[in-house]
Order: sequence, then structure tokens, then C-alpha cells
Amino acid sequence: MAIEKNYYTIDPQGKLKCFKCGVPLIKGKAKFMYLDNGFPVELPVCPVCGFVYVPEELALGKVASVERALEDK
Amino acid sequence: MAQIQERGSTHVYKVNKISKEEVDGMVARCVYEDPPFCSAACPLKLDARAFLQAAAAGSFKKALQLYEKIAPFPLILSAGCEAPCEGKCRLGEIGEGLAIREVERAVARFGEQSRLGGIFRTKKRRTVAVLGSGLFALLLAGELEKKAYPVTVLCEEPDEDAYLRAAAPFLDEEAFRLELKRLRGKDIQFAFSCRPDAALLEQTRQNTDVLCASWELTQRLCPGAVSIPELVFCEEERIVSGPTAGVMEAAFAAKKAALTVDRLVQNLDPRNTRGQEGAVESRLYTDLSEAKERSRVPVGEGYTKEEAVREAGRCIQCHCEECLKSCAYLKHYKKHPGLLAKEIYNNTQIIMGDHQLNKPMNACSLCGQCTVVCPNGFDMARVCHLARQNMVSTDKMPLAPHEFALLDMLFSNNEAFLARPQPGFETCKYVFFPGCQAAAIAPETVKAAYLDLCARLPGGVALMLGCCGAICDWAGRYEMEEQTRDFLDRELSKLGDPIVIAGCPSCKKELESHEGLQIVGVWDLLLEIGLPEGARGLDRPAALHDACGARGDARTQDAIRELARRMGCALTETPFDRDRSPCCGYGGLSAYANREVAGEMTEKCLERSDAPYISYCMACRDRFARQGRESRHILELCYGTDAGSPPDISEKRANRLRLKNELLQQLWLEEPMEKKLTYELLWTDEARRMMDERMILTDDVIAVLEGFRENGEAIEDEDGLLVARRRVGNATFWVKFEPAGEGYRVHRAWSHRMRVEKREG
Ligand code: SF4
Ligand code: SF4
Ligand SMILES: [Zn+2]
Repeated sequence: MAIEKNYYTIDPQGKLKCFKCGVPLIKGKAKFMYLDNGFPVELPVCPVCGFVYVPEELALGKVASVERALEDK
Repeated sequence: MAQIQERGSTHVYKVNKISKEEVDGMVARCVYEDPPFCSAACPLKLDARAFLQAAAAGSFKKALQLYEKIAPFPLILSAGCEAPCEGKCRLGEIGEGLAIREVERAVARFGEQSRLGGIFRTKKRRTVAVLGSGLFALLLAGELEKKAYPVTVLCEEPDEDAYLRAAAPFLDEEAFRLELKRLRGKDIQFAFSCRPDAALLEQTRQNTDVLCASWELTQRLCPGAVSIPELVFCEEERIVSGPTAGVMEAAFAAKKAALTVDRLVQNLDPRNTRGQEGAVESRLYTDLSEAKERSRVPVGEGYTKEEAVREAGRCIQCHCEECLKSCAYLKHYKKHPGLLAKEIYNNTQIIMGDHQLNKPMNACSLCGQCTVVCPNGFDMARVCHLARQNMVSTDKMPLAPHEFALLDMLFSNNEAFLARPQPGFETCKYVFFPGCQAAAIAPETVKAAYLDLCARLPGGVALMLGCCGAICDWAGRYEMEEQTRDFLDRELSKLGDPIVIAGCPSCKKELESHEGLQIVGVWDLLLEIGLPEGARGLDRPAALHDACGARGDARTQDAIRELARRMGCALTETPFDRDRSPCCGYGGLSAYANREVAGEMTEKCLERSDAPYISYCMACRDRFARQGRESRHILELCYGTDAGSPPDISEKRANRLRLKNELLQQLWLEEPMEKKLTYELLWTDEARRMMDERMILTDDVIAVLEGFRENGEAIEDEDGLLVARRRVGNATFWVKFEPAGEGYRVHRAWSHRMRVEKREG
């Protein structure tokens, strides 16, 4: 099995639920994209509808700092 | 809703050149790094500022180290130096120039020599010999030793004592003793009691890489030798030597000769790459107002240590920091402003990689204060503005720092835009243009002013609520600026091309770039037609803050003062007024691109006085009020209105819409198209606070909730709160909320610009 590099991983550990589908979110594969650059990550995802959750800490922390860095490229 | 296209990629590998003359011309205007006048006058280039600072601090050891950089034998130089520095000392213009040489003498006498002698240094490989004795030979040997050459002196004298006496017979006994000790401490090889003849010359030439000699010996052994004065070099004979008269000249010649040796050992032409030698002209600017002691400490028999400390303490450390004193932005980056300018220009020329100067480039408020306070008219606003436009032209400019402001401008010129002739008129003689910030911050004042102008001016007064375009200009978005200009021109022509009554100095300035537009400030008109009834100044002394938009516009500055006077305002004097006024932090979009620096700018404005502030730009009024200062716009006083505590970002939008709708209804009897929510929205205090801080609008939150109402997509967290999201323009907004009664209570909100999606696999 090929080892994939993930820039960030969050495991919801059964604490989050998809409101629409009524199922717990699981750790799933997702991708951040900005200004023509992409980053594979693992985030809480709904196994049914595919809703990807970006928690506040992640948005304001890691995501914001990567955004700033890319903006100045 | 309006949108702005985000740049497509970070992989843009082209730049648009900025002219080299532009860059060099601007950088050269800043004299920050010009030497102080004393150092400039010194052919040996003593760092007099640092030297005097050390001496003033009583640190004679450090002062001596600095002096030894130019003087291998400090007592010899200070005894005979002609001190050209003293005549150039700026203190001479208001009193007596500093007695630099006397301080040097004291330092040479009392300064402790640093123990780390030459023996610990790695020596150079190439060897040098100095033939003969005398002042030049001694000083040259000293210079070469300082440069770590293995030096051999070949002389007739039997020992060091005699050698030193031949060179410096003018030293008194104490000085002689000290210099002898110093000479013995130096890593110089001596061959004493030599017979200086042609044979010795030839033999030495064989044994060393470079040959130097006293001028006396050169002439004796090589009659007719010609020395090139700039090089102190007899090219034909290949002897480093030349005539000198006096201590100063010998010291300077020794310095030049040592540089010639440097070139010769590398087999280079000694004429090349010598840099600037000797005294130079300085353009440094010095503010003499801080000089305290104007007279010299009397010299008498030479300074004692204490006297030298006192005299050195008179040095005002000439530095040009005029712009740093007044501009919080330049102070924040605290470096040579010319260099900062160069780095910002260079930043635009980076083909690939990080643009580390984006932040400073976008933090300048483009206010033009530096150009006024700089003795040479250094213009950072131009640098940063050109750089921003340049980055926009190559699509390298990040949108994020300016997007909120640009969207706000689009909001002003779309949803919140209004252009109507005065009721009862088809076209008008005037149009009142209060500016987007006035409508956002003080809508009641705008309304009162408009009604008053309609009532008192003949020929009809139209109203135009919108943004003048300064925002896109500041952002460097020149195409948007062009579009805005065309748009406003079209709207103005529909109103019959009226005379614009500007309510904001920045609008006035921006609109002046339109061709054929006639513009007056509302302040000028009010002076002309008289103040409205009920106009009243503050009953306490107030500080008037001049708007950066009115820089260079004395007429406006005067008009505001006259209005204030007529209303009975007592204005207190503040430093940095009129053309020298600092920017509140809103200009140039600093507040959006760099909150920290913008905050420092606001502080800088407020530190001038403890009194309430009166301003004539709504953005200034707002920023001062946000800082907790009592702050009023001159129009609020004219119309007896009080805009109260500053609105948050969403209220600023709501105010504009409300003003437009109210006026449409009341004056033009039009039913505005208002979107009414069909459900109730409640907020926690924390949600409101974080939205303002994170630049998230009520409208953004509503967009998310509308989306949720349509598709039901959300997640439920541990506490049972729901989190929904929606992409609006270039950002994704997240809202944490709970259903409450007929609607929702919003708890938190956040956003990011990256897109996120599920990945297969
Ligand atoms: S005022 Fe500022 S920009 Fe002008 S010369 Fe002095 S340091 Fe340089
Ligand atoms: S903020 Fe104003 S004074 Fe400061 S560098 Fe920019 S234009 Fe000059
Ligand atoms: Zn789902």
C-alpha cells in the first residue's frame, strides 16, 4: 500500500454527527485547495453525504497560516 | 452580491519592470545613511558618532578601539591632527562645535588598550617590508600590522626608542612612553641598524611581496622617482612611497598606501576598486532643536577624563530620523527608509518565491506625511502605491488583505448606491457627495446636511451616496479605479454634471482626478452660506486633527478652522498639524492590511493631545472613537447631531442601506426594495464580537443560514449545536448556531479562503 502524505489529520472520534444524514462523522480523506495549490488532509467527513467539517481551530490556525504563506508567493 | 475575482494561481512567473531611475532616484533621496558631518570631513573616516557616544558613556576602552581603527598610534595622530571635523560640527551653527580632537587626546591618554594584540590573529600569507623611518613609515607599518600582514621594518636606528623618536619628536614624555609601549606590543619585525643602500633595496625586494619605503629613502635610492599621490605609489620603481607633510597628511597617505598594498599583493591594478577615499560631502539632515549644551568645556591643559566625558556628551548624535519621528509605520519597521523603499521595489521583481515585503508594502497608509517632513521629499507613498499597482499588473497581488474593503466599496456603489436629483428638479446645479464612510458612520448627519443644502442652495442639490473610488486606488487596483471613475461620471452626467460638494477630503482628492469636474468642499460652502441654525462647538478645548486627504490643501485646512472658530470651539495646539498631520490608520487601507501598524498610527495621532478630537474625515472620527477618545466630525457639530459610539462592520453596511431607503421613501416617495428575514436572528455577545474581529458580516451569516434552510446540511457537535457552512465569493463561512424560537441563535462564526472538498480513495 502506498503511503500517502497528509498535511493534517483530525479524528472526530464519534463526537460529531451529520445533521442531515443522522450518522456519525468519520475520519475521511479531503483536500484543501487555494490559488492553484492542493493539500491532502484527513478531516471529519460524513460517510453518506460527504460533508467535510473544518473546525474553528483548524480554520484560524493551520489553514490561515498556509493561506498567508501562499498569498505571498 | 458583488464579487471580485481571486487570482488564479501562485505560479505566475513574470514581473513588470520598475524603472531603475525611479528606484535609485527615490532611494537616494533618503539621507539616513549619509555620514554625520564630522565623519564626512575626516579623511580617515573616524566613526565620530560612535566614538563620542562611547566617550560620553565613560567607556574609554571602547572609544579607543574605535579611534585605533583610524590611528594605529592614537597619541601621535591626536597630537598633530588638524581636526577638520570640528569645523563641520553642526553645533557650530548654534554655539561652539564639539572639541572632538581634545576628546580624542583624552581617550588616547586614558583609554585602556585592549589586550588582544596582533599575535592572536591569523596572519596574511603575503609579506611586506617597510624601508626607512619617519612618520609615514611608522604609520604605514602600523596600518599594515592592523591589516595582519607580516611586516618587517628595516631601518638605520638601533632600537624602537630611536625609531619612534625619529618619527614623532613632538610627543611629550608621557605620550612617548605610551606610544613606545604600544609599538613594542605590535606584531612588527624590526631589522635595526641597517645600511640603507641599493643592495638592501634589491635584497628586500627579493625577499618580500611588496616593498614600501619612506619618501626620503626612495628619493635617495631611486633619484627621480615619481609618486602618484592618490596611490602613494612609485609605479615604475614599484615602491609604495610618497611625500607627506604633517601628521594628518602622513596618516592619510599611510592609509592610501596600505590600500595600494592590498591591491598589489592580489596582483591587481592599485587604481581599481578603491571606494571613496578621503573627506566627502554629507547631505545628512540634523534637527538642532534638541541640542542642550552650546558651549565647549574649556580646554586648558587638555581634558581630564571627566571633562572629556562632559564634552563628548554634548554630541547630539546627528541622525536623520525626521520621518520616523512622525510616521508610526516607518517607526514600526524601524530601518533605513531608503532601504525599505528599495526592498519594496525589489519585492515586485521577484519572479518566484516569497514576497516577504508584501506586508510593509500594504501597511503604508499612502498618506504623504513623510514627503512633507523629510527634508528631501522622500515619498514612501509613491513607492508603496507603485509597488501595489505593479503587483496587481502581474497578478501577484494577494487579494486577501484588501478584499473586505474592495467588497465594501462595491457594496457602496451597488446595493447602497443612490443618485437622485433634488425632488422637483430634473438636473441640478450641485450634487452632495458625503462619502461612503460618512453614510456608514454618521447617516443622520448626512441626512441633516443634505436637507440643509437643499433648502439653502439655489439651483437644486442632487444627492449621491457612494464611494469615490479611493479604496481601489489605495489597493493598487487601477482597472477598478478606472471603472469606478466611468461609473461615477455616467451617474454625474445623468444629474446634469453638477458641481460636486464633497463631504470628505479624501473623496475631494480622488474626485479631482476626474476630468472637467468642479468640486468644492462642503466646509467651503458652509462658510459661504453661513452655518446652519443650531451649529455649536464643543464647550471644552478640543484638538483638531487634520485629515491626510487634505494634505497640501491649505484652503480646506483653513476653512475647517474657521468653521470651528465660528462655532465657538477652542482649539488646542497640537504638534504635527496641517500638512504634517499623521494618518489615522484608515488611509491606504492600512487598517485592513495590517491592523497592528494601523493601531500604532491611531495611537500616534492621539498621543498629541488628551483633549477631545475634532476631525473632518469620517474615518478619522471613527478610528479615534474606537480607541475610546471623544471624537466628533466637524459636520456633527455643524448639524447638532451625534453619531454616537462607533458602529461595527455590519452596522456600517446597515447604516448605509437604512439611509438610502429612508431618503428614498421620505424625499423621493419611492418604495425601497428591502429584504425582510422571515425568521428571527439572535446573537450571543461573543458571536458579535468575533464577527467584527474576523470581518464576518451579518450578511455572510445570513447567507450560511439561508443555505442551511434550503439543503439542511450541517453537523451537530457534542453540545448539540449545529454548524453549517457556505461558500460566499472567495471565502467559506462557518456558523455555529442553535434553533431558537422562530429562528436561530448564532454562537460562533469563522471563515477561511481555501476550498475544501472530499477526496476519493
Ligand atoms: S526624513 Fe526619513 S526618508 Fe527623509 S532623509 Fe530622513 S530618514 Fe530618510
Ligand atoms: S504611512 Fe504616510 S508617512 Fe508613513 S510612510 Fe506611508 S505615506 Fe509616508
Ligand atoms: Zn451527511
